[in-house]
Amino acid sequence: MTSGTGPIPKISLQNITKKFTVRPSKGNPDGAVLTALDGISLDVSAGEFITLVGPSGSGKTTLLDLLAGLTKPDTGQVLVDGREVAGPGRDRAVVFQQYALFPWRTAAANVSFGLEGVGSDGKRYSRKERAEKAREYLELVGLGGFEDRYPHELSGGMKQRVAIARSLAYEPDILLMDEPFAALDAQTREQLQTELLRIWATTGKTIIFITHGIDEAVYLGQRVAVLSSRPGRLKEIVDIDLGARSGDEDVRSNPAFVEHRHKVWSLLHDEVRRAQEAGHAKIQPDGTAPDETRTITTGKAA
Amino acid sequence: MSTPTLTKETETQTDPAAAAGKATTERNPVLSPSFGKTPAATLRRYVRQGGKAVWGAGAIILFLLLWELGPTYLAPASTRVFLPPLHEVLEALGTLIGNGQLQNHLAASLSRSASGFGIAVVTAVALGLLVAWYGALDRFLNPLLEVFRNTAALALLPVFTLLLGIGETSKISIVAYAAFFPVLLNTIAGVRTVDPLLVRAARSLGLSNFQLFQKVILPSAVPTIFTGIRMAGTSSILVLIAAEMVGAKAGLGYLIVNSQMSFLIPDMYAGILTVSLLGLLVNYLLVGVERHFSRWRTAVGSRTA
Repeated sequence: MTSGTGPIPKISLQNITKKFTVRPSKGNPDGAVLTALDGISLDVSAGEFITLVGPSGSGKTTLLDLLAGLTKPDTGQVLVDGREVAGPGRDRAVVFQQYALFPWRTAAANVSFGLEGVGSDGKRYSRKERAEKAREYLELVGLGGFEDRYPHELSGGMKQRVAIARSLAYEPDILLMDEPFAALDAQTREQLQTELLRIWATTGKTIIFITHGIDEAVYLGQRVAVLSSRPGRLKEIVDIDLGARSGDEDVRSNPAFVEHRHKVWSLLHDEVRRAQEAGHAKIQPDGTAPDETRTITTGKAA
Repeated sequence: MSTPTLTKETETQTDPAAAAGKATTERNPVLSPSFGKTPAATLRRYVRQGGKAVWGAGAIILFLLLWELGPTYLAPASTRVFLPPLHEVLEALGTLIGNGQLQNHLAASLSRSASGFGIAVVTAVALGLLVAWYGALDRFLNPLLEVFRNTAALALLPVFTLLLGIGETSKISIVAYAAFFPVLLNTIAGVRTVDPLLVRAARSLGLSNFQLFQKVILPSAVPTIFTGIRMAGTSSILVLIAAEMVGAKAGLGYLIVNSQMSFLIPDMYAGILTVSLLGLLVNYLLVGVERHFSRWRTAVGSRTA
């Protein structure tokens, strides 16, 4: 968390605070100022996979918006490669929970969306080069042969694969993922988690992955950052060491996994209760959410 | 993923009727493969489809029969003069086509409605995009637009005639006026209902306002805009015929009224028949165009997250 020593971190959040003015309502005629994020500092090194968990209302999505350059912090700085983020840029890509595919474009045309026009490096791709890249990245996410399908012809998991391919296609260094697998069924989600790790290993991207699933956070992240309930503060960062995660072994039943999972669960437990008392309950005390079915129950054995 | 194999099965069917129903069988692959396996089943299917076709056209056939036989056998002789049987009307239609009169009237009407319709589409789409994009402009213009929209176009016909005369200008203007509002309102609605998530996704890619408009907002609004254009097409013909009845020297509306006053009753009906065929044709074409631009929206059921 300390900067100044060693190489410049890929991403550096320095004492970020973000407030929102709530629109005036009946019970609250003047409106109110709501602190979404309060004093967040976090360094992420290049090629790192970090997951972010926190109860509903802890400002996870706000943090991602700041990183994407869609909003600006009230105080503090968001640095990417040591430079302050001034707005959206093609060095960062966002993957949304609801896919956000353009329904009038085929899978290939969606993937090549970010390649149209002049890139930040002044490069312009020809139509043929774009089609070539689209095919290449659809292949990477396991959707070779689906270039001409429209989004409505694809399943949820396939749509999210297309969305990931679209984000990778213009070769950003950083992938920002906002609960990308939350809307998928358990099986598809597990499959995509494995694929994401594979893609991460192949491409070496820096990934910030927001989730409300503790299992998912522990399974994917090298580190898990736990946010407190509103106002969102960084409660603790848990280092995850599960060894090499290649192969078909069931990592989730590994004792180390269960131990890490329990640690994150304990950290979240109080925060979740506080968040629930405050009236927002997207996440359950056992770490699951109503819209997310648990894949395995090994956690209970711990 | 399983769709391709199933559709292949339907393609191997020898039943030619399957080709017509292909669009539907492709969407419901589960329902189709069991049909057409035996000759008996094929025959049953023919009979059923034939029956469906007869039933679908039944009302029209009955109506035409009534038109043909009713005046001769059911109506008193005096009515028969004002309601000639179908074959007389068709004969009159043949004569009008033969001497080129119908083509002249049709051309006059078509050129008027096409120009008015074209002007309306271009201006309404442009204004609609502006109004939807700039909230202040919307708040300023909306009350006035509401007033105009709820004023029947034909109520303004005398005004158009007084100000612009009885020539082409007034007719093209009233058609443009009538066609303007459906297109305008649908354009505004189309831009408004763009999925905010798509806007966010495009913004995160660093798109400028203009690129956002061109690449996200416009394509996503196109189907709604075309619904407005189809509605405008129907209403432009409707208003034009009425305008031509009031003051014109050519056109289908003129043909109808003039035949009535000259007591050429079969010609009058020939004109009416042409109007309804023209309306059907225009609607059919515009529905086709609309469908073409809405292809990506077709599967409504699969749009769920």
